[in-house]
Amino acid sequence: MNWWRHVMAMEIRKILAYRSDFWIIFLGQTAVQLVIATALWKSIFETQGTIQMNGFTLPMMTLYYLIVPIGMRMLTGENIGFISREIYDGSFNRYLIYPLSVFQYKAVTYLTYSLFYGVQLILLFSIYQFTMIDVTPTLMTFVHLFEGVALFLISATTYVLMAMLIELLALWADNIWTLVVMLRFFTSFFGGGFIPLAFFPLWAREILVFTPFPYLVSLPVRTVMGQSSSIEITLGIVVLLCWSFFFMGCVTLMWNKGQKNYSGVGI
Amino acid sequence: MKRYIRLYFHFLRFSFSKAMEFRLDFSFRIIMDIIYYTVNILFFKVIYLHTPMLAGWNENQMMIFVSGYLLVDAINMTIFSTNMWWLPYYINKGELDYYLIRPVSPLFFLSLKEFSANSFLNLMMAIGFFTYSLNQYTGPFDTLDIFLYVLFLLNGSMIYFCTQMLMILPVFWTHSARGFVDLFYSLGLAMERPDRIYKGWLRVLFTFILPFAVIASFPARFFLEPFDWKLFVHTAVVTVFIWSLMLFVWKKGLQNYSSASS
Repeated sequence: MNWWRHVMAMEIRKILAYRSDFWIIFLGQTAVQLVIATALWKSIFETQGTIQMNGFTLPMMTLYYLIVPIGMRMLTGENIGFISREIYDGSFNRYLIYPLSVFQYKAVTYLTYSLFYGVQLILLFSIYQFTMIDVTPTLMTFVHLFEGVALFLISATTYVLMAMLIELLALWADNIWTLVVMLRFFTSFFGGGFIPLAFFPLWAREILVFTPFPYLVSLPVRTVMGQSSSIEITLGIVVLLCWSFFFMGCVTLMWNKGQKNYSGVGI
Repeated sequence: MKRYIRLYFHFLRFSFSKAMEFRLDFSFRIIMDIIYYTVNILFFKVIYLHTPMLAGWNENQMMIFVSGYLLVDAINMTIFSTNMWWLPYYINKGELDYYLIRPVSPLFFLSLKEFSANSFLNLMMAIGFFTYSLNQYTGPFDTLDIFLYVLFLLNGSMIYFCTQMLMILPVFWTHSARGFVDLFYSLGLAMERPDRIYKGWLRVLFTFILPFAVIASFPARFFLEPFDWKLFVHTAVVTVFIWSLMLFVWKKGLQNYSSASS
């Protein structure tokens, strides 16, 4: 039963249904975030009169902000409300009669987006390799790229479980989308999506190690850039898996409690 | 005019009673905006750990700018955001008819119908942070400077609204679900950075074509620096141009509106 293949194919068709939107969002969002971040850091480097700050040169910073927007999309997917919306309108009923786990189904639809953006990352990197490699001396190779994409997929799995945990709150509360937005803020800021974590004060980094955030964004980005050692990557995978199991337990617990609240008629 | 003011007060009443129906959501939204403000402030705090100046401003001056754009964001979240969220759906699903047959301006109705009562509390918080930043600011300023700063920020809110509309209105032609709204949110980042970081073509882009840098950065410069006539004329020209452009596209969009859903 390769049901997940059918689900993935269906999701890809959905993504590509509005092609102009898709390309504008992909190219537009990535370019916008890249140029704004580069302009900001260029200004900082010029003010400081230095070529390196906290292990980053300006070309490395540019590369960092090229990877971050796509990485963040791999992580956060497209759908705020991918479970809660259906709980609210009562269409969640259909999953209860499907001969498969609703959470597996949702995870596959979610990870299809992640995989799709992973392909975008590979595409962008290939363009980057051919056009800018001479001006950007980094350790980045295709091996690092694939390692990074794989790590992003693992972190997306952890993230989707975190998101599910919040989405299931819809069984008790109205309009929980704001909580998902909060999760995005936290992940982006404390994961190093806004500023590389190397710029955070040491005490903050020491605290963040005990949260999943640095492993969700910063580690995969640095892996793509070829800045993570094998030990760091292995440790990162172990930590992400531990968090995933933890969140999976919470989701199961919550679903067992919450399904008694589900009326099936929507609100 | 009186009729429109009266109508707006009706919108306010309905919005507040609607917001109170979902009390938990009401609280969640307040927390979400608090986190958004905190993240924005922390962003610049972290940057100033590594540099004493950014785009010619020290941390104290930067907080004046940050409080300015948070105020613009809060104004837009409160007054326009919910309406902007639904507009592409109305156009796409052919539900605009309902608004076109009413005896009031459809643009007025669709832009201002939903007042975000939960964000109103956040607007109060943004005003609080704005006041705090002014209190902490050590440079010279008087009441007129504050008045002008607020006035330019309100003008910035209008530019923000027009730009957002210009990103939504292509839905009339593309029939997509969201238009270019997601792109708009990414572009919004340009408002949250001082305009002096933009050089060359990027400066032309963000001060003329997509004037995000004019929204909050120019007003902050009016407050923090000696009055610059060139900057004033620039702001005025951009405001008039973007407002006219938005009205033009809106009218063209309505002409193209088929009323059939997509």
